[in-house]
Amino acid sequence: MNLFIQGIGAVTPLGPTALQTWLSLCEEQQAPKRLMANAVADRKYFACMVPGKFVSEAARQPRLRRSGTLSLLGAAAGFDAFADAGVKPGGGLSDRIAVVFAICSGGINYTHRLYHEIVTQGANAASPLLFPETVYNAAASHLAALLDVDGQSYTLVGDSSVGLSALHFATELLIMQPELDRCLVVGTEEADWLLSDAFASWRMATNQDRFEVYGRTYGTIFGEGAAAILIGRTGALEISCSSPGQPFFSVRDSESVATELFGNLLTEEPPEIIVSSANGTFADEVERKVFGRLSPFIPVYAPKPAVGEALGASALFEVAVAALALRHQRLPGTLCAGFKLPSVNRETRSLSASSALVTCVGFNQQVNAAKLRLT
Amino acid sequence: MQVVGRQHRVLVTGVGVVSPLGLDLSSNLRSLVDARDAVARVRNFDVTKTRCKTAAQIPDGCLEDALGRRSSSHRLHRGARMAGMALREACDSAKGSTPELIVAGTTSGGMSFGETYYRRLLATKSRKGLARLVGNYTPQKSILDALEANRLRIPAQIVANACSSGSNAIGHGFELVRHGLRTCVVCGGYDTLCELVFVGFDSLQAATPEKIRPFDKNRSGLVLGEGAAFLILESEQYAVHRGAMALAEIVGYGVSTDTYHLTQPHPSGIGPKLAMQRALESAGLAAGAIDYVNAHGTATVFNDATEGAAISELCGRVPVSSTKSMMGHALGAAGAIEAAFSVLALSEQFLPPNINFVEPDPTWKFEVIGNNSRAARVNHVLSNSIGFGGTNATLVLKRV
Repeated sequence: MNLFIQGIGAVTPLGPTALQTWLSLCEEQQAPKRLMANAVADRKYFACMVPGKFVSEAARQPRLRRSGTLSLLGAAAGFDAFADAGVKPGGGLSDRIAVVFAICSGGINYTHRLYHEIVTQGANAASPLLFPETVYNAAASHLAALLDVDGQSYTLVGDSSVGLSALHFATELLIMQPELDRCLVVGTEEADWLLSDAFASWRMATNQDRFEVYGRTYGTIFGEGAAAILIGRTGALEISCSSPGQPFFSVRDSESVATELFGNLLTEEPPEIIVSSANGTFADEVERKVFGRLSPFIPVYAPKPAVGEALGASALFEVAVAALALRHQRLPGTLCAGFKLPSVNRETRSLSASSALVTCVGFNQQVNAAKLRLT
Repeated sequence: MQVVGRQHRVLVTGVGVVSPLGLDLSSNLRSLVDARDAVARVRNFDVTKTRCKTAAQIPDGCLEDALGRRSSSHRLHRGARMAGMALREACDSAKGSTPELIVAGTTSGGMSFGETYYRRLLATKSRKGLARLVGNYTPQKSILDALEANRLRIPAQIVANACSSGSNAIGHGFELVRHGLRTCVVCGGYDTLCELVFVGFDSLQAATPEKIRPFDKNRSGLVLGEGAAFLILESEQYAVHRGAMALAEIVGYGVSTDTYHLTQPHPSGIGPKLAMQRALESAGLAAGAIDYVNAHGTATVFNDATEGAAISELCGRVPVSSTKSMMGHALGAAGAIEAAFSVLALSEQFLPPNINFVEPDPTWKFEVIGNNSRAARVNHVLSNSIGFGGTNATLVLKRV
């Protein structure tokens, strides 16, 4: 059964839509970074934030009046994917469309606030308005309501590779259920000081204002945003391969798992471009070794230095970038690229490509990949 | 991608449960038959400032060696220990099965590690020694640890559809096997009690300071629980080929999304009713074929009113119980644990009780089973889950 990408949506620190973000990536722009501080500890971190005006349309929805940033971003990206597909959301979709969300940290802003209230003021001071928005599937529920979906809405959780797992889950739904016309897959993430501080304690995040990919690995900088992919049964851009992913149980183990998962996709009908998950952590080294060995001449584009590591949104953002690269036959230049991977694409250039591989080595023991093909 | 052709029968060949009612399937069965009440005062965090003071908990001592004595096991979250134990029992009971995928539900993952992290951060400002809490806090990590402990290297799909997560995970696994995309899947859910979620429900006044009384006229709210359960699902062809014994069959799965409100169901009961109708349609059964409904039955005023209306309208005078009356609401694990209890009701031919039941609500037609379990002929069970965000999931299970 063939399934296709019909619509691509995104809201990122670089733009309020996928197309505007794409144009900025091709101009090799880097998202502005804001310094985050917190009274809890004297440590500061940079993050690539989405300007409020980028979600102002979504924020006007009554349903989203009290929702967290996560839900606003998810809704904005979802509507952008519908617009890109030329499909009018709302009436008549009902049970013919499913919504699948990919979530990593969830509503970290509200969770942070709620737990801070509990610890500092006592349980009796906890706000009943905050708690429901901390539940992982709040964003999916809001978007399902806005789209008038009364059938299936799923939220998948995982590490930064979860978007690819959600993409696969959506393809499973469409394969199994002929009554479904489409599936909207959305990944969303919001930045928070606590998230950066926690990942810094884990040596995965840096407090510097830049990070390098395929070079020195001293941690990543977080971003926020959302990406949405509308999948249907017709179109020109096929999801030729997707996977539920594979676990790895140690960093050492991750290379063999990635080799196995990426290997088949790189060697059987090799893709012409790779959009990778490099983010200034151990993931770069895993990808570098696999690409260096199995696909030394396939150009690699890593979008994260431009927009930050947006965890739950990042893998689907990679899919969006790969799809846009095939659609527009251009590959952006990777910013802040080190010299360990010779095949990294350093400058924006024209392409003549019909297939792309999206790879993701997640922070927390999950690896995944997907392949797209122009038909 | 595979083209889906004929549908396969989906057999349950293994079950593992860890709950406040017992650390394995047989002890859970005894507790259900004996109508044991596992709810007690919360031990793991301070409840002096909350209305509700109770929950059903699994003692930490029972979980200490759950994943063996490997060097890193002390770093693991309670959720990993519970999930690892339940997964081991499920795999052992399905002797020789080779699951290709795990689909698991959870709502709060390793949240208590996040709480510990934040409290230590506030106390010391230092992050020293906190990295392990970050690495083991994420919701998928407990499942990956459970897989590693059971020497299973298989993909993991983790569903977080609030309180219907466990049923959604089993339902998705069922559909994958039924449609021939997989031949053997392990699916279920886990969740552990944590302060943030406990206080959250308390702040919504959804948690009760009294006993949990599902479907009672004077019900006043839920109490929380915790636990893990996993089911091994196999296609009939694969199970027969390897000589596996079936404990039950899953025959239907239905879902709906009630978009009325983030935390309140539509008062008409249309959400759970649609999920139940779709599950029955999926099973090819009329509502009259259902012998027992294992209800979501949280005992909140809103949940029981809407679910009760849906059951009443669809199934009439069917016997109904909520096993949450005994072990509280295990959130993302609830649907999985209740599916395991439904397998027990089918295999042992009995109806689990609905304890603390005092006064029937005259609004509904169905029979609340009441304070004692009883023997009964049970061929089909319908198990409901209803979650925040309007997620509704229903499973239909059949005796083999």
